[in-house]
Amino acid sequence: MVECDADWELCKENIQPLRQGRAISALHQALTQQQEGNSAVLNQKKQAFECELRLYDGDDPLDVWVRYIKWTKQTYPQGGKESNLSVLFERAVTRFTDDKKYHNDIRYVELWIEFADNCSDPMDVYRYMQAQGIGIAQAALYIAWAEEYEKRGNLKMANSMFQDGIKCGAEPTEKLHVFHRALQARVCRQMMSLMTEQQNDDVDGGDEGPAEPQRSTLAELKSKGKKKAVVPINRVNASVGYARGLQFKQPVGPKQNARLVIFDENKAPETEPQEPRLEIWTAPPTARAKENEQKPEKWTNVKFPLKSRSGLSVVVPPPKPSFQPFVEDDDKPPAVTPCKINPAVNSVLSARKPCKLEQTPLKMLQERQQHMQLQQNEDGKMREQSMYCKELLYSGATEFCFEELRAERYRQKQQALKLQTNSSAVDHSSPN
Amino acid sequence: MPGNFLIGGSWANDVCVTWGGMSFQADGVEDGLDMLKNMFGHDLPGMYWPFVGCQRLFMVRCWEVQDNGQTVPKAQQMHTGPVLDVCWSDDGSKVFTASCDKTAKMWDLNSNQATQIAQHDGPIRTIHWIKAPNYSCIMTGSWDKTLKFWDTRSPNPMMSLQMPERCYCADVVYPMAVVATAERGLIVYQLENQPSEFRRIDSPLKHQHRCVAIFKDKQNKPTGFALGSIEGRVAIHYINPPNPAKDNFTFKCHRSNGTNTATPQDIYAVNAISFHPVHGTLATVGSDGRFSFWDKDARTKLKTSEQLDQPITACCFNNNGNIFAYASSYDWSKGHEYYNPQKKNYIFLRNAAEELKPRNKK
Repeated sequence: MVECDADWELCKENIQPLRQGRAISALHQALTQQQEGNSAVLNQKKQAFECELRLYDGDDPLDVWVRYIKWTKQTYPQGGKESNLSVLFERAVTRFTDDKKYHNDIRYVELWIEFADNCSDPMDVYRYMQAQGIGIAQAALYIAWAEEYEKRGNLKMANSMFQDGIKCGAEPTEKLHVFHRALQARVCRQMMSLMTEQQNDDVDGGDEGPAEPQRSTLAELKSKGKKKAVVPINRVNASVGYARGLQFKQPVGPKQNARLVIFDENKAPETEPQEPRLEIWTAPPTARAKENEQKPEKWTNVKFPLKSRSGLSVVVPPPKPSFQPFVEDDDKPPAVTPCKINPAVNSVLSARKPCKLEQTPLKMLQERQQHMQLQQNEDGKMREQSMYCKELLYSGATEFCFEELRAERYRQKQQALKLQTNSSAVDHSSPN
Repeated sequence: MPGNFLIGGSWANDVCVTWGGMSFQADGVEDGLDMLKNMFGHDLPGMYWPFVGCQRLFMVRCWEVQDNGQTVPKAQQMHTGPVLDVCWSDDGSKVFTASCDKTAKMWDLNSNQATQIAQHDGPIRTIHWIKAPNYSCIMTGSWDKTLKFWDTRSPNPMMSLQMPERCYCADVVYPMAVVATAERGLIVYQLENQPSEFRRIDSPLKHQHRCVAIFKDKQNKPTGFALGSIEGRVAIHYINPPNPAKDNFTFKCHRSNGTNTATPQDIYAVNAISFHPVHGTLATVGSDGRFSFWDKDARTKLKTSEQLDQPITACCFNNNGNIFAYASSYDWSKGHEYYNPQKKNYIFLRNAAEELKPRNKK
């Protein structure tokens, strides 16, 4: 047993923690399997789950997904692309969005919360859940949401989250209260420590000599040497949108814009960060970064701008979508950060090209919706219909082909037959 | 080889037929064949063809098709699971079958003995015979994501290559092999000296790969392949074209309501592609129950057939390209609800001498 423990110790940094902990036996098994490269067994198990997903005809399809995901998490402790976990979560949550019976099923809600954890912005996901009514009767949603607020330092909202949950009568209420009390305790502690610090400052200031000069945090960098090029300091309000990626407001460098309130850790937080305008979501946000995946798309409806004889291109402007696209308040493209770089002197650095607006899942969704709207609005366009069982082929995490469906069906029939012939006393197994 | 052989492997009730190396599903029951003969009333060219088909109980059956179209069953062998692919050895004395039971068998037609020659961890989807100057072997592609090469005398593979995904279809024309996998993977292998991966290609198609066939250039060397997808499209792809953007292209096929834009277009899967051995033109068969002939150099369609009442699952040409055989049976494109075991499956033989002549290029 000691040797096993040593093995586990060797790769523990790579093992993603699970909230409920890991079964040590499963962990050992998973690690040894990966070491031995025993992918055949894993593939078979994965294929078995995929088959089950497609051919399940019982009342509780969510159960298959839950087991599949649980097995994947245990088998691929490191997570990563091989495990296909992010795809699994996304498919599982989107599959049942319209299924009211699962909306407050604790398993489904937990899937959503884990999915949100993997997203770049869990807040969007929680808001969507609330708008759709998913998990609003489950304490887990409010606890996770409050935790997210707390992480961002927004204790007021975190507190109100719990109050919302209590108001909605989320179950189990006791758990909600326990977490709420814990949050309040933390808030109190923080306030106490702040107060004692201030008191200490007041008390000590007179007795001792002048306090040691405190280094101001995140001060401007002093430039050295002849080159006066200075990297400007961009500080974004930490509570709002830090997780949205690199979305910069106007560069705040040495010339400070008075409009902008710069967050200063040395001052106690006074202003409450603004919450972005809430809008009802019509579709869930996606977790995956757009660059890594390319879904097959129909090319037939894409048209290039026509070029007229004179060589000028004529672009037909697309019709306006009928809904109001959700636009964030700070939806401005980032300006190129100014900086004098003389290429003759400094050949290592080059002026930064204006970067593309960072794709958030919300924007991706909006673009896709707009695209689909355009397609539907255009008259006389050929619409296409696939004459095969698309849902069956693509309902799992990976695709299936017709033969795989058929093979699985055949295998199930054979198993049923085998059980029948085994159990029945008469042993006339026909060759068919 | 005295003539052309047609063999096949089967699922529970239908038949998979192959001709000189191509496999498809069809009806092997005798009355089915009589129907074939009556249906066309062609004078089948004067050739002696043993004709092999597969039937119930995963049998592989060999039939002799005589000059007058009469078929005589000759021999048969069994597998323990549905047969997914079949191929011939180059001398026509052996038939290789690949099955869902994860094994491949070699059937010696002379001695009528079948021996297992390959084993995978998952169902074997494709099987091809490779004849190289310095070696001969069997190539099997499986859903266990490996491509294995077998000397038929040894139980261990000569070589095993890992693929990114499950093998969905493959084709071999020495010294080139192409495998199309799940998740739109596409890998080209070169077979000289020993098989090795040559290149992974970004799929020219946007949907699931379904069938692939290699074509040759004027010097009879393999130079590219045709790849069919599950949504009515075929891509023609050259391996080393002078101008890839111009030379490679895709075309739509197996769709309904071609010019009628009012109703939505129905899109069907392309189930198999076959190249005419002499003219270099190609035939595609689809879930819509039609076959079409195309000239890829002139980029035109030569012919589309009438619609059969079942999908056409496979097709192939005989050695000299005079006969085009295709099989109609259910391809499982709509899941098991649409499977009707009462429906009969057929093999059709068609005189292909004239219809596949290439169009004159302008």
